[in-house]
Amino acid sequence: MAGLPNGATMSLPTAQDLRPAALHCLSNFSFLRGASHPHELVERACQLGYQALAITDECSVAGVVRAYVAARDKPLRLIIGSEFNLPELGTFIVLVRNRQGYAQLCQLITKARNRCKKGHYQVTLSDFVSTLPDCNLLWRLPQTDSGAELIEQTFATLKQHYPARLWLAYGRHYQAHDADNYCWYQQLSEAHKVPVAAVCEVCYHQSKRQALHDVLVAIRQCQPIDSQIAQLKPNQDYCLRSAHELASCYPAKWLAHTVAIAKQCCFCLSELRYEYPAELVPEGRTATDYLRELTYAGAALRFPEGLRTEVQAKLEKELALIAQLNYEYFFLTIHDIVQFAQQRGILYQGRGSAANSVVCYCLQITAVNPDQIDVLFERFISAERDEPPDIDVDFEHERREEVIQYIYQKYGRHRAALAATVIRYRLRSALRDVGKALGFHEQELSHYLRQIDRRDGQQSWQEQLAEKFPGLQTSYRGRCLLKLTQSILGFPRHLSQHVGGFVIAATQLTELVPVENASMPERTVIQWDKDDLETLHLIKVDVLALGMLTALRKMFALVKQHHQRDLGLANIVQEDAAVYGMLQRADSIGVFQIESRAQMNMLPRLRPTTFYDLVVQIAIVRPGPIQGDMVHPYLRRRAGLEPVTFPSEAVREVLQRTLGVPIFQEQVIKLAMVAAGFSGGEADQLRRAMANWKSSGELRQFESKLIAGMRERGYSDEFAQRIFQQICGFGEYGFPESHSASFANLAYASAWLKYYYPAAFYCGLLNSLPMGFYSASQLIQDARRHHINVLPIDIQHSQWHHQLELGQHGLQLRLGLRLVKGLRQSAIDKLLSQRPQGGFKHLQQLRAAGLSGADLHKLAAADALQALSGHRHESQWQSLALQVEQLPLFAEATAPNNNATSYDLQAHPLPPPAEFQDVAVDYKTTGVSIRRHPVALLREQQGLTGYKLASELAQCRHKQLVRVAGLVTCRQRPGTASGVTFVTLEDESGLVNVVIWQQTARSFRQTFLTAQLLKVKGVVEIHGDVIHVIAGHLEDGTEQLAQLGVAANRSRDFH
Amino acid sequence: MNTWVYLHFPHLLLDYQQALQSPEQNQAPYALFESHAARRTLVQVNAAALQAGVKVGMADVLASTLAPSLRVHRYSLSQEQRVLTQLAQVLYQDIAQIVLYPPQGLLCEVRSLVRLHGGYQAVMTRLQSRVEQWPLRYCLSSGYSPLAAKLLAEAGTPVVTDDGDSVQQAIAALPIQHSGLAGSHIKKLCHVGFITVGDLLKRPPAEVGVRFGRAVMTYMAELSGTFKPPQAFYHPPDKFDEKVELSSEVSSWVQLLFPLKRLLQQAESFLQSHQWSTRALVIRAHHRQGPSTQVSIQFAHAVWQHHDLLQLSQLHLERQQLRQPVLALSVRLQRPEPRQAKHAQLLAGATTGQDQLSALVSRLQARLGERSVQSIQYTEDWRPERQGGVQPWQFGQQPQPLKQQRPCWLLPQVQPINRQQWQLQWGPERIVSGWWDAKPIKRDYYIAVDQAQRQGWIFYSQQGWYLHGWFT
Repeated sequence: MAGLPNGATMSLPTAQDLRPAALHCLSNFSFLRGASHPHELVERACQLGYQALAITDECSVAGVVRAYVAARDKPLRLIIGSEFNLPELGTFIVLVRNRQGYAQLCQLITKARNRCKKGHYQVTLSDFVSTLPDCNLLWRLPQTDSGAELIEQTFATLKQHYPARLWLAYGRHYQAHDADNYCWYQQLSEAHKVPVAAVCEVCYHQSKRQALHDVLVAIRQCQPIDSQIAQLKPNQDYCLRSAHELASCYPAKWLAHTVAIAKQCCFCLSELRYEYPAELVPEGRTATDYLRELTYAGAALRFPEGLRTEVQAKLEKELALIAQLNYEYFFLTIHDIVQFAQQRGILYQGRGSAANSVVCYCLQITAVNPDQIDVLFERFISAERDEPPDIDVDFEHERREEVIQYIYQKYGRHRAALAATVIRYRLRSALRDVGKALGFHEQELSHYLRQIDRRDGQQSWQEQLAEKFPGLQTSYRGRCLLKLTQSILGFPRHLSQHVGGFVIAATQLTELVPVENASMPERTVIQWDKDDLETLHLIKVDVLALGMLTALRKMFALVKQHHQRDLGLANIVQEDAAVYGMLQRADSIGVFQIESRAQMNMLPRLRPTTFYDLVVQIAIVRPGPIQGDMVHPYLRRRAGLEPVTFPSEAVREVLQRTLGVPIFQEQVIKLAMVAAGFSGGEADQLRRAMANWKSSGELRQFESKLIAGMRERGYSDEFAQRIFQQICGFGEYGFPESHSASFANLAYASAWLKYYYPAAFYCGLLNSLPMGFYSASQLIQDARRHHINVLPIDIQHSQWHHQLELGQHGLQLRLGLRLVKGLRQSAIDKLLSQRPQGGFKHLQQLRAAGLSGADLHKLAAADALQALSGHRHESQWQSLALQVEQLPLFAEATAPNNNATSYDLQAHPLPPPAEFQDVAVDYKTTGVSIRRHPVALLREQQGLTGYKLASELAQCRHKQLVRVAGLVTCRQRPGTASGVTFVTLEDESGLVNVVIWQQTARSFRQTFLTAQLLKVKGVVEIHGDVIHVIAGHLEDGTEQLAQLGVAANRSRDFH
Repeated sequence: MNTWVYLHFPHLLLDYQQALQSPEQNQAPYALFESHAARRTLVQVNAAALQAGVKVGMADVLASTLAPSLRVHRYSLSQEQRVLTQLAQVLYQDIAQIVLYPPQGLLCEVRSLVRLHGGYQAVMTRLQSRVEQWPLRYCLSSGYSPLAAKLLAEAGTPVVTDDGDSVQQAIAALPIQHSGLAGSHIKKLCHVGFITVGDLLKRPPAEVGVRFGRAVMTYMAELSGTFKPPQAFYHPPDKFDEKVELSSEVSSWVQLLFPLKRLLQQAESFLQSHQWSTRALVIRAHHRQGPSTQVSIQFAHAVWQHHDLLQLSQLHLERQQLRQPVLALSVRLQRPEPRQAKHAQLLAGATTGQDQLSALVSRLQARLGERSVQSIQYTEDWRPERQGGVQPWQFGQQPQPLKQQRPCWLLPQVQPINRQQWQLQWGPERIVSGWWDAKPIKRDYYIAVDQAQRQGWIFYSQQGWYLHGWFT
């Protein structure tokens, strides 16, 4: 090879200097370009004895925190940098020298990204002029000839702005043009006095990843790989190479330059310090003082009788801890936001470990009275664990945007942005993308995917596929598909916005981290996600949306309006036995968190009698405790059928409040510490692994450690295995006690309202839809079962929202026009503002009030015009005639006649709709009918002879053979109950819970999957208040329904 | 008096695809779907699928739960339209006035045929037997207006009669959902309690017009036949070049005989309707990738009947090999001629207007066979063996120069060498590529001179040193 020495022959440098440095590495955060995780690059670099590694993702620092975590305790210098591709000029690699340099890089990335839509960026040479005084610039020349003149000019510009900080980055990857390239670099270097550094382009950590890298290229091009060969790299030398390889590949001098560059880069992410927005504290005060003042002022309101000594002691302890860890501003920031919400009358509630503290109660961040559950403070921010405090604040879902706008307005867009969420490859997307790259047909892939049951805990997806498609394993392409899909799982795909986590900076956010555009207009996200923020001790404030808060505020308003009682979350009567009695009967439709079918099954078993029982109730019906098989032990102990014992004193401390059975996520982590000997750091890793085990499968590494640790300490393997299963279950939908407690507070409040003010309860819920588990129709049915008189939609009485009206037997629920599909609130508000005192007189008045013909027709179709124009057919016939704008002269001529069409109607009257038709159209136009239940109509037509009513089941004998029929309102197949499906049927008297075992489901597959009206023959099982029908035979009654004209597709399937 | 007959084929494309397959293949459940956003809805299903409980309008996910062996294919409007045109061509042998109602309907004027065939019923019998040459599910109805016939056929409530009153009754009883009106109109009509088309027809048109607009009034007039919209009658094309898409890949000519037979039947109808015959046809088998396999067939004398066409084609095909599975099959008739015509001149004026090169190439191809004339081609692949190659000549294709330095002579087979006899000049160029097709290579290439000072291209791989080409 002309000129390139094969082997370094210069004077031997010291051993330390020989350790190589990689200055241009792409991780998989350069989406679809890098084929290794940041930590893999770091680990490989350590194995190969590198002294430094730069993560230089393309216009991004999204992967650096992960690399930082991996490199934290290793003898490797992590350099922060970024790569920028400039049209015609090649690649610029910017490496950060110090803290200022880091901020400069963040600003440049932000600028480049803000110019483009999500996921793209744009830079020109001028962006690099005077913007990066504290960064090194490495220039990889363009591969295509872009003209000597342009190169000359660029040299002139860069040399001027990067004196002694500019290098040419020569990379040799054993290609045909290596020699030419080498000469070119050397020539330019001599001509411009710019040194050359040996910089390999690293796209993956080891050569084995070549295949995956090629697949990524194909995915990027959306083409199969064999049509994209020209885009692939010709060999596998884009990995990290050993020192020996490097020495035989590059001149020693160039390698020495590389090491010298690395030594100049001294910035470490640990230097980042979060600075709180200062304006929250009045001038001249310290944050500690101010927080203390606000807290005590709040305490006076919260505890009007004065603080009890224990509470005060707790408060002081918390304040001291906050002061010690400098978290005052965090609490003040949240206090400021909830103050805003309070002023605006937006209902909110804080949750999270730090939220259930006395301080947060006093600052009105949460309404959970710490008196009730003082055990919770255990997980309040701890000094040892050194993790930022966790407070999420839920706001009314209809009004959260106001809070977000407040934050933007108060701090400015340059200081506040949302945290990112890293969207990663999951099985579905991975198999699709890899498969397409390997040339599999789209349909073939969906066929494979359909055969995978991801809830199958026994068999991995590969095993399932191998079993069903043996050909996959035996063909080469099939094996590639399985292998590469597995390796791409968990790869980041793009950055999305976090649901509500705001990061607020003291001055400029871009001092800390780059900001880029999200896909939603006017939203910006930072390049780090919540784990990254936590690692770097940056604080985010979670501003979330919750439908139940909207509903509760509306209920409180109604109670105030009709009962003159001023209620709020903090002042409803606690621990009311009657309320718990209602819940024990599983009468919980509409009650927050405990209204699902599974929760309703649990209520009569767990029989909650205190607030803490509710906390447990909410947490227990979740994959964690269920997979860990903790539900039955807990219920047995609670019922006194099994003694409450503890394997050790240490475990007693952790599990005492849940009768020795671990229920909450914190308990399980704590158990790993006290029972399996995990250190605090390990427990912390475990907690993080739980949060993202689905995408990365990190949890498995803890399994043997946990089980061995517990065995060593004398616990049974079976218990250990269950704890591990529970950990895996938590991974999916983990539920810490603190969250459960905050939710229990809302659950209790909604249950209390349901018991004491049912009319207000249903009205508030209905006015907040869509939210929760049930449709308007199901809620209205439930309301009527609670003896609430429901009045139809009526243009003379209804408002847009549902209202309460005083009737002979108390409050009645008047349905609002919001139910009518396709109407806009603004149009209706305008119309109703012109409604005369005594109501409208004729249809033209509505048109004259500005209502469009189409809207008028919608009202007629919804049967809201009864009072004006007769039955539904007549109303519509008349409204249709008024659709077209009529000349004023003509309108005048006909107005006295009441309407223009009466003549015709008298001559040829329209038949009124039959009841079943009315019911059908009610559902179609409003989703709701308060006429008779369709099942009642069927029964009347002798369609259901011999079938029992839901309300009759309680009088049946246990194990009696029965027939029941109803509309399918819910099909639920819990991921945990193997093969069982719970189906809820609704008839005119109530709900029937049907259990369908897999065998039955298979035999009646079509009926089971598609029936809207299900007729079941089965055995009734009665255990206390729990009544089930175990189905033996299914029959599809949908056809009978269809004959009535009712399409009742209202089921919520498989949630 | 019912002037019109309408034929509705609710599963036209699927039935046609099945007609191209052997009856055994049709035992398996099969359906066509259309995608709307992420949802895929079945639009046509075969008998086996119906039996398993699969219905039109179901989501494919649900359907494949009901019938796990269900095969689905994407519905194609253009394919179905092509099939409809072919059908029109078949019927054109009997009926002069045909109107295409894509994608699934044909309207025929039958009044003018009654005298020819000796009665209405005779016309119907003839029409039905013609249609039933194809295993298609269809519904045929008479009507006093095109719309009346169409609605009855589409609703699946056909009336086959000359009697106008029967049609009128059937129309009046038609549910309003089957009125063929726009969905928005149907919705409104239901809202005022109209259940059948009759409910609408008995209202005064003026009252209807005020409420439902001109469109519904026009509809009523069109239905009764008082308004006659112009019809675009079908004219047979004067070229035959038809293609059928197969519902599954096929790998031998034997399996292609079924669809080929269908195509040749169509060719016969085409020739019949023009009173033509042909001397040559081209059969092409289309593959997933690469050029199609083409077989040209010359007939010594002009033929038009499908069994003649098939017999001769079959002889030709027996000699052919299929290199790849086939996705679609097409037949093009060449040089059709009027039946009574005598020999036309052979090879007339083939070179005029074409440039000399292509004339030469065509001539060479004609003499030596198409595959014998080849051009040099580079493919994008890092593996030298695959980089260069020859492929049959195609007009307008110019090879791109290679970007890398490559020897001008590449050995057909690499030769092991003794490294000692070679002196390395340049290298290595490392090529590690091709993992995706199970023929990967991992080599370091060098330019080197041997003892005779010849410059060669040698490489080192795990198996040792090899010579791969010569620069000099």
